[in-house]
Amino acid sequence: MAALIWFNEDGLNPQHQMVQDYADAPRVYVFDVDYLQQWAIAKHRIQFIYESLLEIPNIEIYKGETVAVLRQLITDYEVNEVVTTETPNHLIKSWQDELLRYTSLITYPEVYPTIDSRPRRFSHYWRKCDREWLTL
Amino acid sequence: MKRLRTDLEGRAAIADYLQAEFPFLEDAGVLSPYPGGRSAGLERLEQFQLEKYGKQRNFLDGEVGRLSPYISRGCIELEEVRQWALKRGKSNSVEKFVSELAWRAFFHLVYEEEGDRILKDMEKPKVSMRQHQTTLPEDIANGETGIPSMDTFIAMLKETGYLHNHARMYLASYIVHFRRVSWRAGADWMYGLLIDGDFASNHLSWQWVASTFSHKPYIFNRENLERYAGSVLPGDPRKGDPFNYSYEELSEQLFGGEYQPERSRTSGSYR
Ligand SMILES: Cc1cc2nc3c(=O)[nH]c(=O)nc-3n(C[C@H](O)[C@H](O)[C@H](O)COP(=O)(O)OP(=O)(O)OC[C@H]3O[C@@H](n4cnc5c(N)ncnc54)[C@H](O)[C@@H]3O)c2cc1C
Repeated sequence: MAALIWFNEDGLNPQHQMVQDYADAPRVYVFDVDYLQQWAIAKHRIQFIYESLLEIPNIEIYKGETVAVLRQLITDYEVNEVVTTETPNHLIKSWQDELLRYTSLITYPEVYPTIDSRPRRFSHYWRKCDREWLTL
Repeated sequence: MKRLRTDLEGRAAIADYLQAEFPFLEDAGVLSPYPGGRSAGLERLEQFQLEKYGKQRNFLDGEVGRLSPYISRGCIELEEVRQWALKRGKSNSVEKFVSELAWRAFFHLVYEEEGDRILKDMEKPKVSMRQHQTTLPEDIANGETGIPSMDTFIAMLKETGYLHNHARMYLASYIVHFRRVSWRAGADWMYGLLIDGDFASNHLSWQWVASTFSHKPYIFNRENLERYAGSVLPGDPRKGDPFNYSYEELSEQLFGGEYQPERSRTSGSYR
């Protein structure tokens, strides 16, 4: 199946497992202009992201509206799978949800030493999980 | 949709190019001291003197990782930083550092569960916030509050895209409790300015300061500010100093005695 790797601003690791697993897939990033303006994202962050992207070989960087750009690329590259990294970011999640209407999506989860459901205070979380966190 | 160039060389050329492509951006006028990329992140990790962290982390001129731009943007993964630290052997510094990494995971787990509900009060505030204004006053946005310490923090944030954790706490506390601005207005503003801007760590930390995600509001006084940040601050005028009070006095002034602080609250740590 042909795939496309879509990087988001919370996952700019050129050595991420997904890049290794889909070594031949085109790699893309979209600067979402509406998001940047709505949240008044500062230039330093945009430059940081841009510089990080330049370390990803063959990266294609676009600006526009995220889902529209990705839909166009899905058509152009004739892919049926978009590969990306998981993030709790609700805005990125909503783009991912929207994309699901047009393609299948493979998301690589973030790795934690332990997962606790419904933590409410850090002290509780740490008391419960400190051993896992402090063990290699 | 437009494809951007990827053949630029040098950070200054990139800055000019991005300014032209995104003309709505305010030009910071300087390059941030945090170049993007995994290699810069790994270099930073190599320079980080972890053994000093335990004792120095709360001081603005103390040794901290300055890794958050790289971790938040995913250039280096939280798990690889954790493993890097643990390989240094057991020490107070390692334990403290790993527990700070866990703070990030904790906030993410809450965000994962709550979604965009974290943009609203997670809990009832422990002090009244009904009178708080919902937009950020311009003097704060412009770094012209007239209080040199706070203006210094705001300038650092804008010039570098980063702030030390304790400075973030001071600034958030100043905005929410001393200026009576809703935490959301402050959080949205800081989110955009930080290279490491992350809704989980940012908005939930603002809520922690405000007391909508903690047991009590976070406040500081002059003594605390001088102790931890004095070395990097220009010195505030003594006249009309809003911070030069005991915690009891501040609590009375800011919260009308609604909330009684503990006798001393001197560390920069969350609890
Ligand atoms: C008002 C306010 C807003 C904040 N906004 C953000 C934000 O948008 N993004 C962000 O990553 N952090 C945020 N933090 C948390 C913290 O201030 C930064 O993560 C930390 O200052 C980053 O600097 P460092 O890499 O030198 O940290 P170090 O002390 O060296 O810690 C190493 C890493 O652990 C994590 N970490 C450390 N302290 C915290 C913490 N209190 N909460 C969550 N993670 C932590 C970070 O990933 C950090 O890079 C905020 C804190 C406050 C009080």
